[in-house]
Amino acid sequence: MFIAPAVILLTLFSIIPIIIALVISFTDMDLVGLADYSNISSAGFANYINIFKDPVFLKSMYNTLIYVVIGVPLVVLASMGVALLLNYGTSWLFKSFRVIYYMPSITNIVAVAVVWGYLYNGSYGLFNYILSIFGLPAQQWLQDPTLAKLSLILLAFWKSIGLNMIIFLAALQGIPRSYYEAAEIDGATGWKKLRYITVPLLGFATFFVTITTLIGWIQFFEEPLVMTKGGPLNATMSMALFIYNNGFQLSKFGYAAAGSFVLFIIIIIVTLIQFAVKKKEVEY
Amino acid sequence: MKKKTGLVITSALLGFSLVAAGCGNSDNNSASGDNKTLKVWFMGTADTVTPIAKMYEEKNPGIKVEVQAIPWDNAHDKLLTAVASKNGPDVVQMGTTWIPEFAAAGALKDMAPYIEKYPSMKAENFFDGAVQTTKYEDKTVAIPFYVETRAMFYRTDLLGGVGYPEGPKTWDELKDASKKLVAKGGAGHYALPIEAKDSIYTAIFAWQNGSELIDSNRKPQFNQPAYVETINFLKSFYDEGLSPKGTDLDTVAAFKDGTMGMFISGPWMIQTVKEKAPEIDGKWAVTTLPAKKTNTSSIGGADLSIFNYSKNPDEAAKFIAFMAEQDAQLKFYETSNSMPALKAAWKNDALKDPMIQAFGKQLENSRPAPMVTEYEEIAKAAMASFEQITVGGADTQTELDKLNAKANELLGNK
Repeated sequence: MFIAPAVILLTLFSIIPIIIALVISFTDMDLVGLADYSNISSAGFANYINIFKDPVFLKSMYNTLIYVVIGVPLVVLASMGVALLLNYGTSWLFKSFRVIYYMPSITNIVAVAVVWGYLYNGSYGLFNYILSIFGLPAQQWLQDPTLAKLSLILLAFWKSIGLNMIIFLAALQGIPRSYYEAAEIDGATGWKKLRYITVPLLGFATFFVTITTLIGWIQFFEEPLVMTKGGPLNATMSMALFIYNNGFQLSKFGYAAAGSFVLFIIIIIVTLIQFAVKKKEVEY
Repeated sequence: MKKKTGLVITSALLGFSLVAAGCGNSDNNSASGDNKTLKVWFMGTADTVTPIAKMYEEKNPGIKVEVQAIPWDNAHDKLLTAVASKNGPDVVQMGTTWIPEFAAAGALKDMAPYIEKYPSMKAENFFDGAVQTTKYEDKTVAIPFYVETRAMFYRTDLLGGVGYPEGPKTWDELKDASKKLVAKGGAGHYALPIEAKDSIYTAIFAWQNGSELIDSNRKPQFNQPAYVETINFLKSFYDEGLSPKGTDLDTVAAFKDGTMGMFISGPWMIQTVKEKAPEIDGKWAVTTLPAKKTNTSSIGGADLSIFNYSKNPDEAAKFIAFMAEQDAQLKFYETSNSMPALKAAWKNDALKDPMIQAFGKQLENSRPAPMVTEYEEIAKAAMASFEQITVGGADTQTELDKLNAKANELLGNK
């Protein structure tokens, strides 16, 4: 009985929408259907079959894979590294760098897009200006299919490092000093302390950061939406953007719902794998 | 235990429905009281419309016009939600390209009875192209509000230097002027950008070459010679280095420093160029587009419609009739720089600027994008094909055959 409020809220705002989306994914619902439900008819598995025949969707799956494979390890390692470095001191310098690293996380993505758009600009951009100083040829950062993907990864990496760093910093503060003191008495060096105390005890934070980052990158959306709209040649199209385009731009709700279910299932599978792979928690 | 849970759920649901019913009631009350409230949705910023709403309120005491401004980017999503919930404004501003989609969904009222009642809504008052955008399957579902079209912006000094002081008049002249501009300017110079991310850009050139996009029998024409020739013509601008390959060259900056002598765009760019590049004042002008068979341009802008779920359709019609009159149209031009759809308003001194007049001239020869519900998706496919041809290196005819097949499929042609 005491869990009733939680169950009601969960049902109302999570489970029912998911079921409705699942139902929609088996229909041909579009704007006409939205205005008058009698115009909706069942499509069977047609949406699911068609979506796996859609070259743009397959491309978006491939792109999302690239985003995840490059982006996730990069974010986890870099945010851990930054947190370790910032944990060395408490002077104003260290504190102000925490703010500097965290700043991108709280900046509006549209503002970020405008600024980075100018950094990447082929003719007037800062990056090409820097290249020109070293006599290197100008690059089409957002127009070259391969480079555009990497450019977006760099932007998202820069944006997500701050939040994860804060999580690592908090976990670092939670490691008792006594472990290090004991290790020092045994003559452990800095590297050994890092290898045998810090990294294992960060296990839970690492797990949390990895799983949230992974889910975040599978749902990679804002950066391609505001920077490239999925172009050039769909090279930066992510699955989430594909779903958005079909659902909100083209009003193909059934098709978009089918896409979102494919995405939903991928996220569940990846998360389950993560839990299975996760080693037993380290205890000292 | 089970019974109790059931009770809690029921009472919770009841609570929700009561709250919902309460909201509905209070809405009704505010609409049917002495002071009628007319809900109006506008795209863009509120300060462009609020002064006109004030004018209306002064003339019609007892009516309160509640203007809600929605940024263009969110407008489509917001309208979708309104249709889904069958709860929205009384008067809604529609982007012209959205009309078929929302008309097909039955979200827009038939305007015919109101047009009979209010002479200011009559079709002959507006530009032909604008009137075409208000029709869906022989039904008039909107009244033109403002229009925009594309015309040629060019640097008079640079074009004068290569023998075209009045801008190129034909496709051949455009090509010739472009080549001379680039040859004269040297590395890093271009003639004009091709807006590949804007589906109307290729459409304009196709119309000029006498090609339809989708004919009156709903048959796409993308693999016909006239369209193929158009795409090859545009492609040659890339191949010969007359247009920048990347699309991130800042048009105004390049126009200012002379690395780009021309560009094709809408009236909003007049103000932008004036503000961002005052250094070149007097060295640039606007003219109509160069012609092949015709010099057709696109017409866009926005229309005003009565939302089908409106509770005050008669009041809404009266408001739209007012918006179609010269006073409101000129006021809107003053607050937003959007060009009036009303032909009579163009005789006013406010629009005598030669650059604006160039757009006025172009408006007489302009047409809207095909008014079929599937056009949005077809336009996206056409842009993707154009990109495949110009960036991806695909063969023009093969790619356009594919595009045509896709368009046929989307249109449901067997």
